Amino acid sequence: MSDERLQLPPKPKPSLFAIGVWVLVVVFTVITARRVGFSFSGIIEDLQRPNPVLDGLWNIRWGEMFSERSRKAFVETLQMAVLGTTGGVIVSLPLALWSTEVGNPYVVPRVILRSINNVIRSIPDLLWAGLFVLGVGIGALSGLLALFFFSLAVMTKLTADTLDGIDMGPIEAADAAGASHSQMLRTAVVPQILPAFSSYALYDFELNLRASAVLGLVGAGGIGNRLDFFRNRGQWDKLWGLVFMFFLVVFIVEWVSVRIRRRLV
Amino acid sequence: MIRFEQANVIYDGGVTAMKDLDLEIGDGEFVVIVGLSGAGKSTLIRAINGLVPLTSGQLDVNGHDVPNLSRKERRALRSEVGMIFQGFNLVDRTSVINNVLMGRLHQVPTWRTLIGRYPDRDIQIAARALQRVEILDRAYVRASNLSGGQRQRVGIARALAQEPKIILADEPVASLDPPTSHVVMKYLQQISRDLGITTIVNLHFLDLATAYADRIIGLRSGELVFDGPGSACDAQVFEDIYGRSLTADDTMEKQAAL
Amino acid sequence: MSSPTNSASARIQLPSKPRDTFKLVLSTVFVVLIGWSLVSVDLKWSRLLDAPADMWNLFGVMFDEFPWTSEERTRMIGLMWDSIAMAWIGTIIAAVFAVPLSFLAAENLVGRPIAWVTRQVFNILRAVPEVILALLFVPVFGLSPMAGVLAIGVGSLGSLGKLFYEIIENVQKGPIEAADAVGASSVQRLRWGVVPQVAPELTSFLLYRFEINIRASAVLGIVGAGGIGGALVDAIRFQEYDQAGLALVVVILGTIAVDTVSGAIRKRIVAGRAVEVGGPDDPMLAVSPGAALLAQEPSR
Repeated sequence: MSDERLQLPPKPKPSLFAIGVWVLVVVFTVITARRVGFSFSGIIEDLQRPNPVLDGLWNIRWGEMFSERSRKAFVETLQMAVLGTTGGVIVSLPLALWSTEVGNPYVVPRVILRSINNVIRSIPDLLWAGLFVLGVGIGALSGLLALFFFSLAVMTKLTADTLDGIDMGPIEAADAAGASHSQMLRTAVVPQILPAFSSYALYDFELNLRASAVLGLVGAGGIGNRLDFFRNRGQWDKLWGLVFMFFLVVFIVEWVSVRIRRRLV
Repeated sequence: MIRFEQANVIYDGGVTAMKDLDLEIGDGEFVVIVGLSGAGKSTLIRAINGLVPLTSGQLDVNGHDVPNLSRKERRALRSEVGMIFQGFNLVDRTSVINNVLMGRLHQVPTWRTLIGRYPDRDIQIAARALQRVEILDRAYVRASNLSGGQRQRVGIARALAQEPKIILADEPVASLDPPTSHVVMKYLQQISRDLGITTIVNLHFLDLATAYADRIIGLRSGELVFDGPGSACDAQVFEDIYGRSLTADDTMEKQAAL
Repeated sequence: MSSPTNSASARIQLPSKPRDTFKLVLSTVFVVLIGWSLVSVDLKWSRLLDAPADMWNLFGVMFDEFPWTSEERTRMIGLMWDSIAMAWIGTIIAAVFAVPLSFLAAENLVGRPIAWVTRQVFNILRAVPEVILALLFVPVFGLSPMAGVLAIGVGSLGSLGKLFYEIIENVQKGPIEAADAVGASSVQRLRWGVVPQVAPELTSFLLYRFEINIRASAVLGIVGAGGIGGALVDAIRFQEYDQAGLALVVVILGTIAVDTVSGAIRKRIVAGRAVEVGGPDDPMLAVSPGAALLAQEPSR
C-alpha cells in the first residue's frame, strides 16, 4: 500500500431539481402546518380529556350488528355498490377505448374525453353524492349515481393506461386480415385487456363498497344514514357496533376479491 | 397477379425504402425476397396489402388498384391476402381457434364477431386450416401456451383461414431455431403448391432461400438488384445483393453451428 | 403433412371445448348478485329517467350567480386551501410514522411474526374510510382542521406502510448482503443498504398519496373536520345552490392544480430514477401503471 493520496472522481452534485423538491417540501410543510394550527401538545391535551367516543368503544353494542334497521341499511349499501360498479364498468370500456390511440384515431375527441375524465376524477365521491342529493333528492338513487360516476372515472383511467401498453402485433394482424375497426377492437384488443379489466372491476367494487358506507352522511342512502343518526345523538356505542359490522363485510369482500383477482391475472 | 410499376416509397424521415420498382409476380408463384435488413423487404411486402402506402407509382394486385382504394375496398383486398409475421402477432390471452378465426373477420357479420358467435361454416374453415398445419388438437389451448414453432403454425392457419389468393410472410422464421424453421418453410411451400396460392416470403438466410424458392428477388437499398430462379443464385449474385462477400451470419446452418 | 386430396369436404371434428368451471361459477354469482340488486333495491327506477333533467336544472341554478362575489370566492378558496393543508400535513404525519412501521412489516428485515402483526394493523387502517375516522375524531379534537389532519394521517398510515414494505421487500437483496458482509448493524443496514435505493420511490408515492388525500380532505368537512366540505354540506342542508356550485368549481380547480404540479414532480422523479438505475431488474420500472394503481388505495 502506498501513502499516496488517492484522487476520487468528483462527487456527483445533488441535482438542482432534488434540492428544489426538498426546499419546496419543507416550506410547504411549515406553511400548511401553521394553516391547520398543528400542535402535538394540543393533541396530547385533547386525548387527556374525557372521551365519549372511546367510552362508546368500551361499551360497544354488538347487538347493533344484527338489528333489523342495520341489516336493511347494509343491504342497501351492498346494492348501491353492486349497481354503481356494474354501470360504471360497462360504460367505462367504450370510453377507455375511445380515449386511447388504439381505439380512436382522432386526436381531438381523445383529448376532450381524457380532460372530461380528469374533471370527473377530481370530484370526490361524497361530493358527487352531495350533488345528486341536491339534484335528484335523498335516497339510494343519488348514492348509486355517485358511485356510477366515480367507477366510471377510476375504470376508464385504469383501462386506458392498460390499453396504452398492449401488444400492437395482433392489431396489425387484424388489419391485414381486412377486419373493420370494431372487429379489430373486439378480436385483437379486448382479449388482451380482459383479464386486467375484470381485475380492475373487482377492485373498483371493493372501493365502492367502502365508499358506499359513507354516502349516507349526505343523505344518499346506505349505512351512512345510520352512522349519521347515531353520531347526531351521540350514541357512540351503537355507532361502533355498526363500524365493526362494516369492517367485517369489507374484510370478507376483500379477501374473496383478492383471491379471485389473483386467479384472473 | 401482382404488378409494380415505377413504384416508390419514401418514409416521413426521408428514407427511401422502395425505388422505381418494376416487378411482376404471377399467380401461384413461390417467391423469396432477400436482402440486408433495411433493404426494403418489409416495405415491399406491406405495400402489397396496403399497410404501407406507395409514395408514387402503380401497383395492381389481382385487379385491385392498390394506391387508389377506398377504405372499404382496401379491406376487401386485405381479405384476399393472408399475412404471416415475424413475431407471430397472436393474441396470447385467447385460444388458438379464436386466433385463427381472426382470418374470417371480413366474411363474418360484425355483430357476430362482437358477441363471439361465429357461423359453423367459418369455424369449419378455421378448423381445416388448423388441420393443414397439424395443430388441430390444440384448438382450445391458449396461444401463450404454445412453443414458437407451434405459434407460427397458428399464424399460418390464420392466414389460410382467409382462403387467400396471396400469402405474404414477413421474416416468418426469424424468431425460430433451424429445425423449426425448416418445418415452417415446408408448410408454406406445400400450401402454395397444393392450393395454388401466390406466396411471397422475406428471408434473411440465403441457404433457406435457395432451398425453397422457385424465384428469388434481391433488394438493396430499395432497388431490385436480382430477379431469377433459385438455381441461378450463386455466391456472386449474393455479393451483389449484400454488397459484400458472404459470412456465417448470412446462412442459417453456419450460424447455427457457431 | 396432410394430403390435398381428402379433407376437402369431410366435416372436421374439433377437440372438445374445455369447460372453465371457475369462470362459469364466477359469472353466475355476479349475474345473480346484479339481478338481485336491480330487483330489490329500494328506489323508483322511473326517477332515473328524470335525473338528467333534474341535474340540468341543478346546474342551471348552481351557476346562476357566476362568477359570484369576490368575498364568496375568497372565502371558498381559503376553505380549499385548508383542505389542501390538511391533506399535506396528514400525508407527512402518515409518512413519518409509516416509514419505521413499514420496516417492521418487511419480512426480509424482521421476523415473520412481527411482520404479520404489523401488516394486520395496516390492513385494518386501510379498510376505514377517512370520513369515518374523522367522524370518530371530531368529538375528541373538536370541530377543527386538526380532526381532519389526524383522520387523513391515520387513514394513510395503512396504505403508505403497505406500499413502503412492498418496495422494501422488492429491493434487490444485493446491497443488504453487502452491508451484512462488512458487519453492519441492522440500523446501519437500513440506512445505507435500503434507504438510498428506495428514496425516489418513497417520495413519488408520497406525492401520489397526497393527491388522493386532497380528494378525501375536500369532503371531511361534511362531519365537521374542517376544510371546504363544511361549506358544501351547509349548501346542501340549506339548499344554497349557488354556494354548492362555487364549492364544486373550487374543488375541481384546486384538485386539478395540485394534481398537475404533483404529477409533474412525480414524473420527473421517476424519470431521473430511470436514467440513474435504468436496469430492467429495477422493481419499480417493472411495475406497470395499472399495477401501481392497483397496489394503491382508492384514488378518491
